[in-house]
Amino acid sequence: MNFKTKISSLLPPLLPLILGMALAEIAVRSGWVPSYLIPAPSEVIRSLIDDRVELAVAAWTTLSSALAGLLLSFTTGTLFAIALSSSDLARRAFYPYAVFFQTVPIISIAPLLVIWFGFGQPTVIASAAIVSVFPIIASTLLGLKSTEPALIDLFALYSASARQMLLMLKIPFALPQIFSGLRIASGLAVVGAIVGEFIGGGGLGSVVDSARTQQRIDRVFAAVLISALLGAVLVGAVNLISALTLGSWHTSERKAS
Amino acid sequence: MKIILGFVLILFSAIAAWGAQATQLQFALNWKAEPEFGGFYTAKLSGSFQKRNLDVEITEGGAGTPVVQMVANSKVRFGIAAADEVVISQARGTDVVALFAVYQINPQGIMVHPERGFKSLGDVFNSPGTLAIQSGSPHALFLQNQFPGYKVTFVPYAGGIATFLTDPNFSQQCFVTSEPLIARKKGKPAQSFLIADAGFKPYGTVMIARRQYVEKNQKQTRDLIDAVREGWIEYLRAPEPANNAMVKLNPAMDAVSMKEAAEVQKSFILRAGAPAQELGKMTVERWGTLVNQLYDLKLIKTKPVADKLFQNF
Repeated sequence: MNFKTKISSLLPPLLPLILGMALAEIAVRSGWVPSYLIPAPSEVIRSLIDDRVELAVAAWTTLSSALAGLLLSFTTGTLFAIALSSSDLARRAFYPYAVFFQTVPIISIAPLLVIWFGFGQPTVIASAAIVSVFPIIASTLLGLKSTEPALIDLFALYSASARQMLLMLKIPFALPQIFSGLRIASGLAVVGAIVGEFIGGGGLGSVVDSARTQQRIDRVFAAVLISALLGAVLVGAVNLISALTLGSWHTSERKAS
Repeated sequence: MKIILGFVLILFSAIAAWGAQATQLQFALNWKAEPEFGGFYTAKLSGSFQKRNLDVEITEGGAGTPVVQMVANSKVRFGIAAADEVVISQARGTDVVALFAVYQINPQGIMVHPERGFKSLGDVFNSPGTLAIQSGSPHALFLQNQFPGYKVTFVPYAGGIATFLTDPNFSQQCFVTSEPLIARKKGKPAQSFLIADAGFKPYGTVMIARRQYVEKNQKQTRDLIDAVREGWIEYLRAPEPANNAMVKLNPAMDAVSMKEAAEVQKSFILRAGAPAQELGKMTVERWGTLVNQLYDLKLIKTKPVADKLFQNF
């Protein structure tokens, strides 16, 4: 990819951002919108520079909690989905409870998490895991149930064991859906971590809470911007792993020649 | 002739009805219905607002309700805030002013388990343990500055006393007129220390509005504050009717705790022997001190003029 192509591929997503920031700057500077309601982008950038150390430490704390939560939800969610896919009865019995994780209003159970897990990272990780587990269960289950019947017949013909069928056919076949679920879950894990931090303490959640108390809306936006970046980093990492894992054989990741 | 007379009568009654239409006002609280707002509910229940032709809708708040921003953005005309929020808000460019201060002595305190044997706020900060305090709040920063070598671990304050009831090493911010009473009711005696005693003394539970609105509606604002003062005089005398109404709105606090809180808070609202007309009044010295303290804590970059921060009625 040469320099010109790189610029032209970056321009479409950058243009609305630049335009939006310019409009916000003009609106605040000309007094159409008071700065205590929406900060001028220049104020947010100033906050990013002035508070860089605190924001960087907070971002790292949030990222590590979100990653730990995502790992936890990925492990438990995948195992749960495998268990559900193995039996129709199990699926009918337990899947409705999995939906609970999608609908649970995390903000209302977060104070309970503190009582169960204590202040600090355990609560934050639990919050991230609860919020991000459902897309993993749903997508993995869909993937595991979507194996081509002809391939299942072929494996059966060669007398493959249930374990071989799962590890060599169903899971590889479900990988695109599993990665799809992980993409959704990785953004949610950041949201879950920040909500957990409101109650459990630390990280960007704590920065937002403190900045809100001090009516520092510029700092709130700076922290929100960083949390969006963290989400993008996690989704990017999942995309990279997906490309490395599926690139050589699956159509969804194969580049057009 | 009869037709003209009839027409005039209809016209007069229409004008009278229009004139009698009460002015509707929204008044946003920053917490649930509790005795700290008792006088406001009394003003509504006893008809103090109504007889001044004001139809005031009181709405409860919760943790993090941005009342100051809502008032600054004219989403509600009147609200409740802490005095330090008013200073920070003006320093950030709003024209929010204080009109009536419920608490002359701020009841914000730190509540601890008595068995820990603390004798002062210094002991709380210089001992290991957990302290739930609103992160970044002026009182938290002030106390951290007062006790620089603190050993206590700070955790977010989420409201309520659930963790206090279960963790013997847990301390938390509170209104000394409220949470310690609820804790005692639930079988956990609590000891509390006033933050004001450490030197941070903003007015507490302050009624606010935009200066622009107050200047345009001087009579209406004066009527409102007169009604509020009347409500508070009545609440200090007989808190039961408002307490009964507030228990229905906020069942988390039972009637007995409301009664006790109403009694305990009296000395925070009106000093002994002071005339009732002093209720809610503020001084420029107190506001000036607060401005300087917030400036020293680096919470504001510019100092608002102290006498522009409030208006007594």
